[in-house]
Amino acid sequence: MARESVQEKSRGEQMKGFSELFHDLDEMTKTGERIARMVNYFEHAPKEDASWASWFLAGNRIKGVVKTGELREWASQRSGWPVWLIDECYERVGDLAETLSLLIGGNKEADPASLSEVVQGILLPLAHADRSEKAEALKRAWNRLRPMDLLPFHKLLTGGFRIGVSHGNLCKALAEVGQVDPAIIAQRISGDWDPGIRKFEQIVGEERPEDSWCRPFPFCLASPLQEEPNSLGDLKDWWAEWKWDGIRCQLLNEENGGLLWTRGDESVGESFPELLKLSPHLPAGLAIDGEILAWGPEGMRSFSRLQKRLGRKEPGPSVLKKEPVRFMAYDLLKMEGVDIRTLPFLDRRKRLESMLAELPGGFPLQLSMPVKSMDWDKLAKQREESRDRGVEGLMLKRRDSVYSTGRVMGGWYKWKVDPYVADMVVVAAQLGHGKRANIYSDYTLAVLDQQQELVTVAKAYSGLSDAELKEVDRYVRKNITGKFGPVRSVRPGIVFEVAFEGARSSGRHKSGVALRFPRIQRWRRDKKPEEVDTLENLLGYARMGERVMEDGAKTDDAGNLLLF
Amino acid sequence: MDEPMIVRPEGLFCPAGGFFIDPRGRVDKALVTHAHSDHARPGHGRYLVSESCLPLLKLRLGQEIQAEGIAYGKVCKIGDAHVSFHRAGHILGSSQIRVEVGGRVWVVSGDYKPQPDRSCEAFELVKCDVFVSECTFGLPVYRWQKEGVIHQQINAWWQENVEAGRPSMLFAYSLGKAQRLLRGLDSSIGPIFAHGAVHPFLPVYEKYGVVFPKVQKPKEGSGEWAGSMIVAPPAVEDAGWTRRFKGASRGFASGWMAVRGARRRRNLDRGFVLSDHADWSGLLEVIEGTGAECVKLTHGNGEPLARYLQERGVDASMLDGSGERTGEE
Repeated sequence: MARESVQEKSRGEQMKGFSELFHDLDEMTKTGERIARMVNYFEHAPKEDASWASWFLAGNRIKGVVKTGELREWASQRSGWPVWLIDECYERVGDLAETLSLLIGGNKEADPASLSEVVQGILLPLAHADRSEKAEALKRAWNRLRPMDLLPFHKLLTGGFRIGVSHGNLCKALAEVGQVDPAIIAQRISGDWDPGIRKFEQIVGEERPEDSWCRPFPFCLASPLQEEPNSLGDLKDWWAEWKWDGIRCQLLNEENGGLLWTRGDESVGESFPELLKLSPHLPAGLAIDGEILAWGPEGMRSFSRLQKRLGRKEPGPSVLKKEPVRFMAYDLLKMEGVDIRTLPFLDRRKRLESMLAELPGGFPLQLSMPVKSMDWDKLAKQREESRDRGVEGLMLKRRDSVYSTGRVMGGWYKWKVDPYVADMVVVAAQLGHGKRANIYSDYTLAVLDQQQELVTVAKAYSGLSDAELKEVDRYVRKNITGKFGPVRSVRPGIVFEVAFEGARSSGRHKSGVALRFPRIQRWRRDKKPEEVDTLENLLGYARMGERVMEDGAKTDDAGNLLLF
Repeated sequence: MDEPMIVRPEGLFCPAGGFFIDPRGRVDKALVTHAHSDHARPGHGRYLVSESCLPLLKLRLGQEIQAEGIAYGKVCKIGDAHVSFHRAGHILGSSQIRVEVGGRVWVVSGDYKPQPDRSCEAFELVKCDVFVSECTFGLPVYRWQKEGVIHQQINAWWQENVEAGRPSMLFAYSLGKAQRLLRGLDSSIGPIFAHGAVHPFLPVYEKYGVVFPKVQKPKEGSGEWAGSMIVAPPAVEDAGWTRRFKGASRGFASGWMAVRGARRRRNLDRGFVLSDHADWSGLLEVIEGTGAECVKLTHGNGEPLARYLQERGVDASMLDGSGERTGEE
């Protein structure tokens, strides 16, 4: 009796099952609770739902379902509020999916729908529908779904699906469900797979040889070196090489072709066909870890040159000629189909060297060479060449380290050169998103040019404590001098010390310069706006010989939308 | 035409009557809509408020202030102005102030809500030519549910916490919201405590007919809080005072909780969407109901509401000199 009613309930609450999972994960603050909640969901959800949930939680999205402009238009028709008012709401809420959910309201009397029903009955058909069909389908969806389903639904619809579950924790939860190694789970859920085809049993089931080749291994990540290097012990136990400033990738090769995977689980082979052309010359069953770099006849080029190739699929011959790239290999993860990640680094390295030695010359593939030194002091000296060499510093790898999953302390360290630092003043602010919604937390920063005018050079939003954020927010609200869409210009008064990795020419800012990875280091309450750094200083940092105006960045000027 | 009210640096001023409404700075005659600190400021010569607001105002500003209470609806004459106070439904004693000079009528709403609230007098719609409206929640994403629904949510959360053996800390402004919450708590679930800032107002509410469950003051250092409900102002959220309630689940009741970002920013376990201000549809309903030809918006980021009203043919604009507001209620 009791059992029957429980089943009844679970059958009746399938989409709610996922909605509930979503809302619970969104509210939970402790990692352990979250993992337990996911395990509970995966164990009880219908199997098709569990597959889709794994796919979404792994960060995948159904692309091109609907354009946000269309969505706003239809939400406007549905709610009766003009589009501009919906935009105002979005600005306040800081999240389009949430804004729409609040405005649409949902159907309180509706029956629950399962996640796979929502995906297969609404989302996937939407991707292939024409405009008017889409509008109709969306109307039906809004009639169909209950209030609590709307936020997860809109999240799936707009693609941005982040509820504070890291890849690693998702893997842990799935590993617990299937009693398999999280690393195997990580490999199974990375890359491109179809949850409509792959059964949940295959995700959490025992390992099989055939489900491995086409997906990258989880990347081994380096920890920042925060102690003195000699705390690592004898240099003889370590391998040093340059830390390349490119796109970290795994190059996979099989008889039927090659694949390039980024750390963001994106397959970028189509953007770099010259690298895939290597495939027939490489042995099958191979996985190499390395970095794609912009590389001209003169040698390595800056990262900004690489951006001309990013996101551009099937580049034409002129681009290929003008913006060549090459793959800098530094680790071997699989050879002849055998996973060798647990071999010591030096063994993997030797195999990589001998394999590459057999390649004919002239290919855009080369070995990252070691930086050899007698002792830590001399190595530290060599590290100072980093900026001149266009690299970010040194990588230190323990010679006996395995290729671990994610960031594991003790194996790999990045010993980066210190960032550039400059004082800048806030001249504009914008409301933030997510946790910072409705707080002026995105800042436009300026320095002085030769005429002593403030010119903008960067946008930044990290590095302040919650209390400081609140204080700056209060300042901004009291000192708004103008309104340009969502941006408020602000009377200069707040000076931040900003760290950044370099500067490059850009048409985005008035100054003609944009900074790489700018982040606020601290609030210089002791400095006045007229005491900020000069543009000249920044240009000096940038070593900017060529001042080419770029045709709209593929990433934002903070560099935040890069593949990693 | 001369308007009954004009904007001065201190706030809204009535030249015919020589008084201000909710002024800043120091003025001689201040008419005050309600006892919240962004409306009732210290330092004025004389205060006029509603009858039920008077004891609250004195608790806030001191018993020694020169202040008088006037019954709702009673018209008095100040200079050449006819003035009356009308229920605003915001908190106990909150008023809209109607000012009539030479046949032209302004209503200054202070803060208001048309939704029912069992801890204060019900909102009264007052016809006027010019309506000065708050617009704290002037966007359609703000939609309130009935207070009974929210009280149920809070009691259910409290019950969950009792079962999990932890205290419940509910943050709410000490005047108005705290009393509204206490009024809705189900005392059969467990003992109820309130921060010292909340207590002084309780007898005033009781005098005006609001019935509370038994509310205790938490004693210093005393040990066992599991299962208790503790109502406290947000000011002590991070203070040492809250530390004794170990393992407490933390909730906050406010209209701002309608947006997830606001809850996440405060690192709260639960946000309850309960506001003492009008929501978007409440604002539209009241503004339309007053029949005002001209609407002036204050206390909020009112541009979207102003534009929306303009598109519907209402002469709406921001009242000069009012800034953006987010934090308070």
